[in-house]
Amino acid sequence: MIYLREVVKHYDQTLALDRLSLEVPEGAIFGLLGPNGAGKTTILRLIMGFLFASSGEVDRGGLTPGEIGYLPERAFYPPRFGVREYLLTSARLAGLGRGKAAAASDRLLAQLGLGGAATGRKKLGACSRGMLQRLGLAQAMIGDPRLLLLDEPASGLDPAGQKFMREQILALQEAGKTILLSSHHLDEATRVCSHVAVISQGRLVRCGPLEGSDGILALRAVSEATVTILTEPLPADLAARLASLSPEITVTGGRIVLAGQGVRHKAEVLRLLLGSGADIRHLSERQATLEEIYLEATGE
Amino acid sequence: MSRIWILTWFLVRDLFRSPAGIVPLAAALAFGLIAFEYGMDQPQFMSVAGVGTGGICLLTGLLLAGRANRAWTYPLLARLKRRSELLAAIVLASLVITAVLSLLIGGGNLATGRLTLEFPSALWILLTWPAVWLLAAALALPLSILTSRAGSYLAGWVLLAALLVGYDQRVRLEQRGLGRVVEVISVLLWPVTTLLSRASANVHDRSYFLALGLTVTYAAVIFVLAGETFADKDLLWPE
Repeated sequence: MIYLREVVKHYDQTLALDRLSLEVPEGAIFGLLGPNGAGKTTILRLIMGFLFASSGEVDRGGLTPGEIGYLPERAFYPPRFGVREYLLTSARLAGLGRGKAAAASDRLLAQLGLGGAATGRKKLGACSRGMLQRLGLAQAMIGDPRLLLLDEPASGLDPAGQKFMREQILALQEAGKTILLSSHHLDEATRVCSHVAVISQGRLVRCGPLEGSDGILALRAVSEATVTILTEPLPADLAARLASLSPEITVTGGRIVLAGQGVRHKAEVLRLLLGSGADIRHLSERQATLEEIYLEATGE
Repeated sequence: MSRIWILTWFLVRDLFRSPAGIVPLAAALAFGLIAFEYGMDQPQFMSVAGVGTGGICLLTGLLLAGRANRAWTYPLLARLKRRSELLAAIVLASLVITAVLSLLIGGGNLATGRLTLEFPSALWILLTWPAVWLLAAALALPLSILTSRAGSYLAGWVLLAALLVGYDQRVRLEQRGLGRVVEVISVLLWPVTTLLSRASANVHDRSYFLALGLTVTYAAVIFVLAGETFADKDLLWPE
């Protein structure tokens, strides 16, 4: 749906994105992960057309600006506008007529917990961070855009607010929307994202689906990913054969540990053990977490 | 067009709900009190108040462009088909605000007897002033940081100041042998000066309409240039 090809972005002398290529599939919840200054917001702003690439290509898949909803990183809205008044303006700008705009605004405000006349009249300058973040999501959703770009949607929210935001994002995906979000919250990304891209210093260091055999979590490139198998003490020849499969397989008595790339040989190890009639007493698999993958990828 | 009107109404409300909204009101009040201290007849009103309200329009346009140059414009801009719609809304909002303020200035002074107008000739104001305001509002765009690139708005201010000072000091410049410079400045400012002087003299001949057309053309050219500059500018608004 959205493609970035070899995109380079400079801010004066600073390199913000370095030949970054990315594909956001339709219907995905795609998480951009990375430390501050990695280039996540730059990517979202390039897609929105607020910024222009120094070189490379940003392909919005034929979407017009009106078909993209945008939640900015900071909840920064004109403080003297009312909640409903502001959303109505967004709805009208999204092309809805007066009546439809009012109906859509009221429906979204109710859906996002901002319903009621008193809340609707409340000035944006008097709203809490959580309310502004919900309003930000409402203005991004209004007009039923096909793609939503959410810059740090859970930023500054309490745990209940974060949970609410996750539920809304998942509901949007169920409604057929494509969502591209940036986040510092790895836990949040693990819970909602179908795909992630880890960005560090403007470069893409990991990218792909989160789950599945080809998923980021299944890559097991992280040293902490291990499989431990406990059996009765193995004969020396079997132990030597298992260890020869990979340098990252260690056999000590009846304890076999597959680490890093050695994890890829799990099936072969089990086949050899079962073939030799070994009594497998315990098997535990410790999958790499997104946090470990993130920390390894970003070198933090 | 609908989006531009919606954005215009948003900009007007935003300006007048902020402390910055006092500025055009104060400017209009000051102009209405000071310029009309000894009263005005129609020819004076046509030219002096034409320039004065043009100044108020420029000031309003600068305020609106300045307020649009911040992060809360991102979600609004995301809804527009073209960035130039934001610039059009700024121009339109400047015109609307100036029109209302001009009505208050004129109406107030008319009611207190410090202004005398003759109808129907006074109705030429309705054609003359909006052209001047349009130019002033369009001029506010390249003179603001919103559309500026690499400090181009500073160059715009220097150029404008040079033109106005040069026009004001034209006799002195000619005495110093800078007749060529005066000629260039006079040619550049001819549409506006001719428009207001003809309107003031209640002469609506070919020169008047040519000046009117050129003033609007100036505004259109400045708007297009500002739009081109803004269209591919990286928008890094402070949050």
